[in-house]
Amino acid sequence: MSSGPILEMKGVSMSYGQRTLFKDFTLDLHRNEIIGISGESGSGKSTLLRIAVDLVTPTEGEIVFQGKDVKDWNPQELRKCIILVPQEASMFPGTVRDNLLWGLKIHDQDASDEELEAIMEEVNLSGEYLDRVAENLSGGEKQRIAIARALLLEPCGLLLDEPTSALDEKSTLAVEKTVKGLLESRDIGVLVVTHNREQAERFTDRVIEVTTGEEVYYNAD
Amino acid sequence: MQTDFDLFQAILDFVQNLDPEVYDAAFSYAAAMVLLVGLIALSRWQKIGITEKLIIGTARGTIQIILMALILLEIFALENLVLIFGLLIFMALFAAHTSRSNLDDIPGVFRAGAPAILVGGLTVMVISVLLGVVKPVGEYIIPMGGMVIGNAMGINSLVMERMWSNAQKQRSLMETALALGATPLQATNMTIRESIRSGLLPNLNRYASLGIVSIPGLMSGMIIGGTPVLAAALYQVIIFVMIFLACIVSGLIASRIFLQEMFNERAQITVPPPEA
Ligand SMILES: Nc1ncnc2c1ncn2[C@@H]1O[C@H](COP(=O)(O)OP(=O)(O)O)[C@@H](O)[C@H]1O
Ligand SMILES: [Mg+2]
Repeated sequence: MSSGPILEMKGVSMSYGQRTLFKDFTLDLHRNEIIGISGESGSGKSTLLRIAVDLVTPTEGEIVFQGKDVKDWNPQELRKCIILVPQEASMFPGTVRDNLLWGLKIHDQDASDEELEAIMEEVNLSGEYLDRVAENLSGGEKQRIAIARALLLEPCGLLLDEPTSALDEKSTLAVEKTVKGLLESRDIGVLVVTHNREQAERFTDRVIEVTTGEEVYYNAD
Repeated sequence: MQTDFDLFQAILDFVQNLDPEVYDAAFSYAAAMVLLVGLIALSRWQKIGITEKLIIGTARGTIQIILMALILLEIFALENLVLIFGLLIFMALFAAHTSRSNLDDIPGVFRAGAPAILVGGLTVMVISVLLGVVKPVGEYIIPMGGMVIGNAMGINSLVMERMWSNAQKQRSLMETALALGATPLQATNMTIRESIRSGLLPNLNRYASLGIVSIPGLMSGMIIGGTPVLAAALYQVIIFVMIFLACIVSGLIASRIFLQEMFNERAQITVPPPEA
């Protein structure tokens, strides 16, 4: 694998009708890197993540994933390699196991209970959760299950949309710990949207403001 | 002037020659308008939002069914299968048009509904005639086809309405599915299955309580029309099987075509978010 960026957003602009969300946004995401995206509510952070996985086409600009324009990717394959976890951590009906297997099934894959338990451990949840009804879990648990569900597909990029916005401090720290752990164990690149500057500084390498495209924080170590 | 007078005279003759039972029915119809007023009041009070559809539907339905009644005997006597199936095609297209006007804020309902009702409804009718399940005369094909088409229309409307509104109300779940690499069909399959199931539910209830709670229209009509009671009973079961088959086939077809209104070729959701 080359050491180039996994995801490149080049001169991306986005408008809805008359309203321009951002202009000329540029970003490179590498493996083993965690970049924060900050911005006020309604500034276009979620839209930016959707654009990155080709769920939304920008008005202008180019998105390159692993050296290939996203438009040249099969959308299903692209989204298996770089996975967006939407803000709400929506759960499919059924148990946690059903949820974890959902992503695998659509790609004709399966996993044993041992593999599921291993992934649960990776997101700091015990295997006992597997038989619980996913919809009834707490926000922090759902977030981590949504992350586990994505990880089972072994992506090289993970895009997290405000993973801790609905969580209390304890769950927030648990999710942060989970995500930090992934970088080391899996060598993936992570984009995380957060409007909490403190949090951004606590667990990202650098932070980019969505509207201006400026780097508003850089972690030297 | 002369022609006006003739027309007037013709109508007068027609009315005077009507069966007395028609006068009775007309009186019942007028009395039933009290029910309609109550219905409208209830729908307004509970904000069910169907007042306009009820009023227009009553007027239009009355005219349509009276026109139908005037030619019904001729239609029932039809033995020309081309004509009969031509009529079924017209009915299927009209059904698709009806579901479009009832779902007027959703695009593409006719485009998905017409082929779905045509294929779902007509194949079931063709197969039934070929198998000898349904006698090849208008008296059987038209009313049974009407029921098959009508039920297929109901399922289609429900499937498309649910697919569309779920793309708005459960947008995040749909986006989650797409973001895991699901195809549009995979991302909506659950909704499709659920809506087909719930669309079949009223008929499944009737089916299960057949003869005990529900004494359905087809059977009653056949008995009144002189069919032996036992034969009418068997036909009632047959029509249910035909309805279920047509419903499922056309629901599946409508959903597949309708996906093209909800997603583009990049598997992006094109349904606008709820507020917009
Ligand atoms: N599909 C859409 N059609 C029209 N406007 C949209 C659409 N999606 C998002 N928007 C608008 O774009 C703006 C940015 O939304 P979003 O990316 O969710 O912001 P953020 O995540 O920063 O809060 C909002 O004003 C939103 O209403
Ligand atoms: Mg957002």
